[in-house]
Amino acid sequence: MSAWERSLLILLVIVTTGFGLEVPGFFDDISGFLSMTSNFLPFGIVALGLSLVIFTGGIDLSVGATASLAAVIAAQLWATMGLNIWVASLIGLAVGGVLGGINAAVIVFLRVEPLIATLATSFIYTSAAVAVAGDAPPSGFPDAFNSLGSGALGLGHFQLPYQLLLFLPLAVLFWLLVGRSAFGRKLVTVGYNSEAARYSGIRVPRVLAAAYVISGMMAALAGLVLSAYYSAARADMGDVLLLTTIAMVVLGGVSIFGGEGSMGGVIVAVLLLGLLRQGMLIAGFSDMVTSMLTGAILISSIAVRNLFSSRAGGFGRRLLAFVRRPAVAGTDITRHDAP
Amino acid sequence: MPARRPVVTPRFAMTRELMLVAVTLGLTVMVGLLNHDFIGAQNLRFMLLNSVVLSLVALGQTLVIAMRGIDLSVAPILGLAAMVCGLLAQTHGLSLAAALPLALSIGLVLGTINGLLVATMDIPPIVVTLGTYSLYSGLTFLYSDGTQVDAVPPTFAAFGNGHLLGIVPVPTPVVVLLVVLALCWYVLRHTGFGRAVLAVGNNASAAYAAGLPVTWVRIRVYALSGTLAAFAGLMFLCYTGSATVTAGTGDHIELQSIAVSLIGGTAIAGGRGNLIGTVLGSLFLSVVLTALVFLHVPPIWYSAGEGLMILAAVQAGIGRRRGARA
Repeated sequence: MSAWERSLLILLVIVTTGFGLEVPGFFDDISGFLSMTSNFLPFGIVALGLSLVIFTGGIDLSVGATASLAAVIAAQLWATMGLNIWVASLIGLAVGGVLGGINAAVIVFLRVEPLIATLATSFIYTSAAVAVAGDAPPSGFPDAFNSLGSGALGLGHFQLPYQLLLFLPLAVLFWLLVGRSAFGRKLVTVGYNSEAARYSGIRVPRVLAAAYVISGMMAALAGLVLSAYYSAARADMGDVLLLTTIAMVVLGGVSIFGGEGSMGGVIVAVLLLGLLRQGMLIAGFSDMVTSMLTGAILISSIAVRNLFSSRAGGFGRRLLAFVRRPAVAGTDITRHDAP
Repeated sequence: MPARRPVVTPRFAMTRELMLVAVTLGLTVMVGLLNHDFIGAQNLRFMLLNSVVLSLVALGQTLVIAMRGIDLSVAPILGLAAMVCGLLAQTHGLSLAAALPLALSIGLVLGTINGLLVATMDIPPIVVTLGTYSLYSGLTFLYSDGTQVDAVPPTFAAFGNGHLLGIVPVPTPVVVLLVVLALCWYVLRHTGFGRAVLAVGNNASAAYAAGLPVTWVRIRVYALSGTLAAFAGLMFLCYTGSATVTAGTGDHIELQSIAVSLIGGTAIAGGRGNLIGTVLGSLFLSVVLTALVFLHVPPIWYSAGEGLMILAAVQAGIGRRRGARA
């Protein structure tokens, strides 16, 4: 476990116990506490997929639009063609994969920067989502589907939200995929140095395509969960996803330039930011103040990390070295420069 | 890989600009033939004026991108400046002469915060401006306290919708834009600071090794971008006569400003900035969006049109670079 993951985990414990002790309603019982996760896990699902893209040194600005479009298409298939909602959801997932594939094609074949490519496709997907949704967005899904968003599996007194049941295996899967598989190594290598990856025999376009397709599918999954949560599929539903999920991935320690970071950090960051938001909302802060604080945390956490990392020149390291300098020069022969 | 030229060669710049002018004019004439109202003086003036606010924001964005950065926080800076000036003018009778320095200092302060975070803390610009995006839009929300600006003093509206009488009456905002464009162009092309911006965008470590004050240059560019965004906010207030909490952020002007910079020929990889292209790009965007209205395209497809335009423009740039190398 890296130092960054450890710090995040400690922060998570502090935030959870802090809110639990200070804010009534945050931790009344374990089931109530777990049910809060349903409010932010769609962000976590997107963050898992988006991480893969950011690992490659790219970015996917279209996750929000992809989530909306896939969910709206699935909902319309159910509403107008009478398709079973679960079959429609599977098609929605496939649509997400296709949209991610389009992103990858634009990036690989047209050689457009990921930022620009996904900016452009997000505009296009947004239009398409609004067009598919029509004047009256579909709503009122079957209860079984709605429970995916807001339901919980009852085990006696203990209630386990279905969203958490969905997120946890996915988190483990992604953790294994990035940290323990050949694909994960390729992903990180491409992000670290795509030229070097190419010379070492990695098929870079394939790795990129896989990353964007998975990101699109996870965005679609989040869109489906959101439409189950609201029991309606709106075309602007996914808009809120983008900024928070980038914040989660970056806070999780994944370098925005690619090639650096870990999935464990992202998973902890999802829980940390999510619980922090929920705690603040329960404590009575407005939604706006809460997102302001999210922004502040994002910047300050990266600032703190840079201050103490060796890569960034290490003002903080020099500061630490200064503070820990021996009282009398020359007396401490065991002194290490790096704290 | 051959070293990239830090500055646009005049030939390249002219082709990109001529291309944009030709496409814009061609589109205007084509749609005008289908619907004569499109080339009426009223509509031409409207399309021109509609591009001014975006142009002002995009000029700052172009400088940032040329330095290999990105500034997402321009939208909330625009919104905050419009909101603060608008509310003070509406309730406390703030004059236009006082609103200008107020708006500029708001932008200067917020932009400098971005610059300090990017340059001294070494945080990636997209992360910094993403964070300050939520911070600054939060400030707008808190400051407005649920109210909105809908009745600005007549002096503001007169400035935003007035004319400077010459041989032909030119709308005041257009004159202002041309002055700002000339200033920015001069700074980028004819000052040491401008050279430094392109050098940092081309290769920051080389620029540092060559003795350029990289940190200071970065701070100044983000400060400039914030100042221009806030000035655009004041212009937005004068032109529309209103400001809501979602001014700037609602239209995603940060994404639009990036898009028109790229359409104008600025390289996302830094080292190349085309300010005239940016302004022509905003005008082009304005013409395209208005043309969609005149062609009775449903509004839902406007954003798709924008997306396709970005791809086409970037493609045109790539084709040219490949052609030049061969």
